[in-house]
Amino acid sequence: MVVLELKKLGYRYEDGTLALKDVDLTLEEGEKVAVLGPNGAGKSTLMHLLAGFRMPFEGDVSVGGVALEEKSADRIRAMIGFLFQDPDDQIFMPTVEEDVAFGPRNLKLDDVDSRVKRGMDSVGVSTLADRAPHRLSYGMKKRVAIAGLLAMDPALLLLDEPTSGLDPRSRSELVKLLKSMKRTMLIATHDLEAASEIVDRALVLNVCPVMKGTMRDLAQAGDVLRSAGLELPPLPMLFETIGQKGYEVDALPVTMDQATAELTRVIDREGRRRR
Amino acid sequence: MPMIVGHVRGHSHILPDLDEHSKSHWFGRLDSRAKIVGIFSFVVVCALLTKVELITASLVLAVAIAAASGAPVRSLAKAYAAAFPFMLLASVSVFLFAGIERGLEMLGRTSACVIALLALASGTGTFGLFAGLRRLRVPATISTLLMLTYRYILVVSEEFFRMRTARKARGFGGGRSLLDKYALNTISFTAGTVLVRATARADRVYEALRCRGFSGDITVWRTSSLGRSDLVFMAVLLLSSGLLAAIQTGWVQW
Repeated sequence: MVVLELKKLGYRYEDGTLALKDVDLTLEEGEKVAVLGPNGAGKSTLMHLLAGFRMPFEGDVSVGGVALEEKSADRIRAMIGFLFQDPDDQIFMPTVEEDVAFGPRNLKLDDVDSRVKRGMDSVGVSTLADRAPHRLSYGMKKRVAIAGLLAMDPALLLLDEPTSGLDPRSRSELVKLLKSMKRTMLIATHDLEAASEIVDRALVLNVCPVMKGTMRDLAQAGDVLRSAGLELPPLPMLFETIGQKGYEVDALPVTMDQATAELTRVIDREGRRRR
Repeated sequence: MPMIVGHVRGHSHILPDLDEHSKSHWFGRLDSRAKIVGIFSFVVVCALLTKVELITASLVLAVAIAAASGAPVRSLAKAYAAAFPFMLLASVSVFLFAGIERGLEMLGRTSACVIALLALASGTGTFGLFAGLRRLRVPATISTLLMLTYRYILVVSEEFFRMRTARKARGFGGGRSLLDKYALNTISFTAGTVLVRATARADRVYEALRCRGFSGDITVWRTSSLGRSDLVFMAVLLLSSGLLAAIQTGWVQW
């Protein structure tokens, strides 16, 4: 089932600056897709547009089969869970539990209690239910914001730079969490390393779409990424260097598992060649 | 509104601490509806008092409420100091037209009202206060506007403090003299930037609310009913206010 469909999507800011042009994208249920690009590439604009906050736009957008327009924006927002870049923009209520319940109560969803419990359990903040969210660490605030979205049980999660501003440990924990979630997600990020761990495929955006493919496909096209203002993550960069040193590398890996397999192959081949 | 502004102006940096403090103190744990009804009745009666003895008694009662609230004296004093110029202006106006005695009465009355309201604001979690108003059937538009105003005052003050720190970090030390043109320029640019940034931030906060189905009403999920201590507190304040009103009107002879 198609959850999100963009056709020839274009958008200009009020001053006439082109923000997005000819963006085509389809997300099937359960798919995780990253929108990669440098600052100013239009990633956040795309996210806000999909949540119905940037109108008018060119082309077509549909979420869960509903076409996005002024009239349907509220209905579409009810199907979307939008994680803002800064959790302080999002968290409003005086306690974690109240904040997680805020969305389901506004949308008049059934069984708010179990939704809140599930939301908090799934991101590991159940023990913080009575705490004031503004007193939590930045990473925990992100988790609380995600719990608030999960409690709404949205058809699509839009995550705007989910790993930005996090320390390495919080970042790695959040990546693990997002990886483990069986949800349809569109993630806007310039963190290729995190995207490699979480998503199935990606769209490289620099106002216009630059490239589409799996993260592994993208890693093979380092020059395209660089021309779009992105840097290869450390793993593929390491294997690119290994290849440049004369060792045969089949494909640049993007995850640790792929890297281990690729390294084993390189060592085997080198061992055989030496014998 | 002046209460909220005074509250924020008095201790914008320690607001969250006050909210935490109010949770741990018995006064803070009282149902906010009981506090609102009790203290507002007291304020209404105070505003009508004209006898010096009764105004003095109301001042003593207001200070007692402030002491009972457990709010830090320093933050109460700061917030009172922020409101003082307005009270002084009102008193001076009365003094000019009706003499010093009436002016002092006005200062006493307004002080009693402000001290009691500050005790309510400082000794109650801010959100709990607005939620209490909503539960007392104050229209959603008003209670939600108060909550959003409070949230946005914090947004603007956060931006202001950030900008002030950035300004200081780059060696700016002016602003003490009205004749310092460079300093005035810098301060006006800062004010402009704060406003632009705060507006952008406020837009994001609003968009985030809309994303979670916000349609104009914010209510608290977990609510409690009035307990014995809430009723006792409310009764004490209502009785005291009633007694003051009765003596003032002559129903009870002092």
